[in-house]
Order: sequence, then C-alpha cells, then structure tokens
Amino acid sequence: MKRKPRTPIRVPSGSSPGKEEEAASHGIWSGTISFSLVAIPVELVKAVEPGRVSFRMLHTKDYSPLQRKMFCPEEEKIVPPDEIVRGYEIGPDKYIVVTDEELESVTPERSRTIEVVEFIDMKEVDPLYYDHPYYLVPLKGGEKAYQLLVEAMHRTGKAGLAKFVLGEREYFVAVKSTDGVLTLITLHYREEILSDKEISPNEVETGADEKSHMKKRIKGMMADFDPEKYADKRRKKIMDILKKKAKEKAPVEAPEVGEEEGGGPADLMTALKESMRKVKKKR
Amino acid sequence: MSRKIVEIAGKRLSLSNLEKDLYPSYGFTKAHVLEYYRRISKFILNHLRDRALTFKRYPDGVKKDFFFEKRCPSHRPVWVKTAEVWGDEGERKKVCLVNDLETLMWVENLASLELHLPLARAGSPETPDSMVFDLDPGDQADILDCARIALILHDLLSELRLASYVKTSGKKGLHVFVPLNRGETTFEETKQFSKAVAEIMQENYPDLVTTKMAREYRKARVFINWSQNDASKTMICVYSLRAQEKPTVSFPLSWKELKKLAAQKDLETFQVMHFEAVRRAEKEGDLFHEVLKKKQRLPHL
Repeated sequence: MKRKPRTPIRVPSGSSPGKEEEAASHGIWSGTISFSLVAIPVELVKAVEPGRVSFRMLHTKDYSPLQRKMFCPEEEKIVPPDEIVRGYEIGPDKYIVVTDEELESVTPERSRTIEVVEFIDMKEVDPLYYDHPYYLVPLKGGEKAYQLLVEAMHRTGKAGLAKFVLGEREYFVAVKSTDGVLTLITLHYREEILSDKEISPNEVETGADEKSHMKKRIKGMMADFDPEKYADKRRKKIMDILKKKAKEKAPVEAPEVGEEEGGGPADLMTALKESMRKVKKKR
Repeated sequence: MSRKIVEIAGKRLSLSNLEKDLYPSYGFTKAHVLEYYRRISKFILNHLRDRALTFKRYPDGVKKDFFFEKRCPSHRPVWVKTAEVWGDEGERKKVCLVNDLETLMWVENLASLELHLPLARAGSPETPDSMVFDLDPGDQADILDCARIALILHDLLSELRLASYVKTSGKKGLHVFVPLNRGETTFEETKQFSKAVAEIMQENYPDLVTTKMAREYRKARVFINWSQNDASKTMICVYSLRAQEKPTVSFPLSWKELKKLAAQKDLETFQVMHFEAVRRAEKEGDLFHEVLKKKQRLPHL
C-alpha cells in the first residue's frame, strides 16, 4: 500500500505526481460578501490549523496503514456502502431510517453570497458563541471595496452578522476586521448553547470588602493579551520525540505491494508458465 | 476577467478566464481546452460515465501548482450528478459523475486538465470493469521499452484467451487494459491475477521488467505496476489531456500500430497531440470501445 497523506497536500509541479493525493483546496468557498448595494468578491480560507499531531494507525506485523471499514457484528463481515443507511436512535435497538433524499430535501440551496443583514458590536457576542474562524480573501476586482470595508469596520468596531450556506448547512456568522483583513467566524445558534442554570451558584451575600479585595487581586495580575507567551507544550514534546527518532533510526516502512514474490493459485502459475513458454517460442 | 455564459441542454454554465494560457510554452488556453473536450466528448463520455471523478486541477496552468480533488466541490451546479462512496477512513464522500457534456464543460472550466478514474463504477466500487497493467519506464528506459513489454504482454494474455487493449499514458508509459465487465470479478482477483502475470514477465525478462516500485529496481527497466488494480487507485481516463509541456492525450492504439511504432523507434511518434486525437477518433472511432463492452472471465483462478 502506498501511504496516503491524511491531510490535503499541495504538490508543487515538477515533482513526480502521485496518483492518489487527497483532495486539496486553497479556497473552501468563493462568492461575494454583500450588504445594501455593496458586493465584494471573496474567497473563504482556513484561519486556524489545529495543532494536534495526528497519527496513522499501523499494523504492528508489517506497518501497513490500516483502514476503517463498516463492520456488522451480527454477520461478522464488512458491509458495502450500498447496504448502509442512516438511522436516528430513538431508544434501545429502535431507529428511524432517514434516506439520503430526505436529508437532501432539507439541505439549503447552495448560495454564492454572504449577505450581511445587520451590523453589531462584536463585544456583545460572548465567545461562547464562537464556533470556527476563517479568513476572507479579496478576489480580483474586489480589492478596493474590501479594503474600505476592513477600515470602516475597524474604525467603528462593528461586525456584520450574516447567514451563509457552506456545505450542507446554513451558518450564522459574524464578519469582522482583524489586523487589516476580514475574518469570518461561524457562530453557534442560540439553541446550541447549553444552559448554565446548574452551574451558577445560588445567590449569596457578599460584602463590599470582599468585592474590592477580589478586584484588587485581578488588577495585580493585569497584562496585555500576548498569545506568543503560550505554546502547546505537549505538541512540542511530541515533535521533539519525532525529530529525535527520525535522526536515530530509519522510519519503519509499510510493505509496498509487489514486495512478496510468487504466490497465486497453482493452476494459474502453471498456465502462465506454459503460455510464456509458447510466447517465447513464437517470438 | 472574461466570462461567457453558455447554455448546454438547457443548463446554464458560466465559463471564466477563457483566455488564460494553461500550456504557456505551447500556447493553449482554457478556451482551447474546453474546445478539445467538447470535440472529444462523444468518445470520452462513455468512459467517464458513472465513475467517481478525481479532478487534477491546474488553476494557473501546467507550469504551476496543481491539486487533486476527489470530493465533488460544494460549489457545483445543482444539475451535476453525484454519488456517495466510502473514503479510506470510513467517511462518506460525495463524488462527481461526469455523464454529460455540460458536466464535462463545468469540470474543464475548473481547469481540471487531467481526468482520473477508478477502475470500478461508483455504484459497484468493489468490482472493477477492467484489469490493468500500468507500464511505467524507469530511469534510462523509455516508451519504446514499454512498447516491447506491452507486445509480449499482449501475446501472453492472448495465449490465456484474454483480449487486451493498449493506450498511451500521454506521458512516458503505456496502459494495457483487459476488459472484464462481468460485475462479479473483484479487485482481489484482478490483483492476484495481474501480480502473477507481472511476476512471470519479470522472471522471464529480468533485464527489461521489474514488479518493484522502488527506484533502484526500475533503472533501465519497465515497471509493471499491477497494484493499480485496487479500489482506492485511479487511472488517467482514455482521451484525457495530460498536463505536459504540450497538450498530449492518453490515446488508444491498435496492437498493429504499436508494433509499427515499436519498429520505427521514434519516441516522438508515440505522443498523440490534442488535434491529432480528435482527428483520429473521428476517423477511426473509439478503439477503446470494447474495453467497456467485452465480457471476459479471468481463467485459472
């Protein structure tokens, strides 16, 4: 088995093209961001790359990369895609079957616009609502309007709220200006936010003294937000281990198909040998 | 940015950047690419039909970065047919099926110069319609060596009463197809069979053939890549353009012609250019027609 990159990889031209690199995408989506009479062509790109170090699962015997398959414990066999449907669990061993067509019928129509419906103060949006950040990149012809919008948003400290269809879902998003570019943050819907009822303490009396004391302590630890100071130590340690191991020892290799010789049913081998003999004789 | 709205079979499609030079050292624009695929569509569509397309996109031409796209982009027009297949990690993937001219034009508007396909149809991903031998020359070997090996391979398969068909890869290699079209032959079987064939070739022509992928074994030899007979692998579709310096095509050849070319010993004559591909297909018909039709059973398994 040839190894496959887990994440999309861009292959620079000139290198020998592999046959099976996974889908890669620079833009996740492209269209226009619009409000009133303004429409700016933009492309949506990733803003974060989670730092989790990902591993492939390998077979200890020969380091072949393993695949996940859908397994039926009842029949003890792997189930092909055309025998699989989605079921919504309503109780133990009770499901409602939902077809692809049914899901398709409720999927919002793909749209080419991020339509800003109102401008709000981003401070009013609690980070609880933040789901996932992206950058919006201006496309040809949109550079000027893009820059104007970035500046106006920055000056006023306002963010645009919009509805936006990406993939199979309609998202509720905030578009704001961050360091001279537009960022788009998908937001959670109200019903996705869990209640804090169980968590908030019962009202208790607190004295003015205690209050000012708490305030003072916080003040004593005030700083500017500097994310550079913090790093994912575990990731760094894992990467160090990997670097060290790569230097010390050659990586294990999955067997290339074609490594093991011979094999094949005896009948076929005999027939092949006989045919080859004839071919050579005729040539 | 130039845009042109076209209507094909009642479906509207916006074509963009038509003047963009995708083969800059040859001077072949997106408009030329679209025109090539429009003219060859009569032949290529039969081969694309109902198979999960892997896009190989060259948004800035053959000299710049390319990327593979296996999923059907979410920005596809509503009329593009899709199928769901399982990815290698157990996830479901929506893939594009290129079953009509309008979809082909949409795909080419995305600068997917090369069209890659699995050997099985999307609806029956475990049963290939063909067994394939991908002949790939190593360093110091060339398409002439591939041709010699292909001719021996053809004789060997004929002895086994298997019809086979050959096409250029459009690059340096040749692809030999053995049609099956039985809906019951599995990849496990084609793999086992093709591997045994490749190994007997290597055993008998050790100086010309290797079955090993590693570079050092391939030097001056032809690598018979039988491992393409796998549900997760794709092959370049017959009649697809290749992203080479010039717009060459993966084009079918008759065995007679291959024999002639092998005797001529001129590497250049193996390469079929876009205009030649259209002219020849229109004159000779689809030499790969039987690959889709002929029913054959792998013997001795």
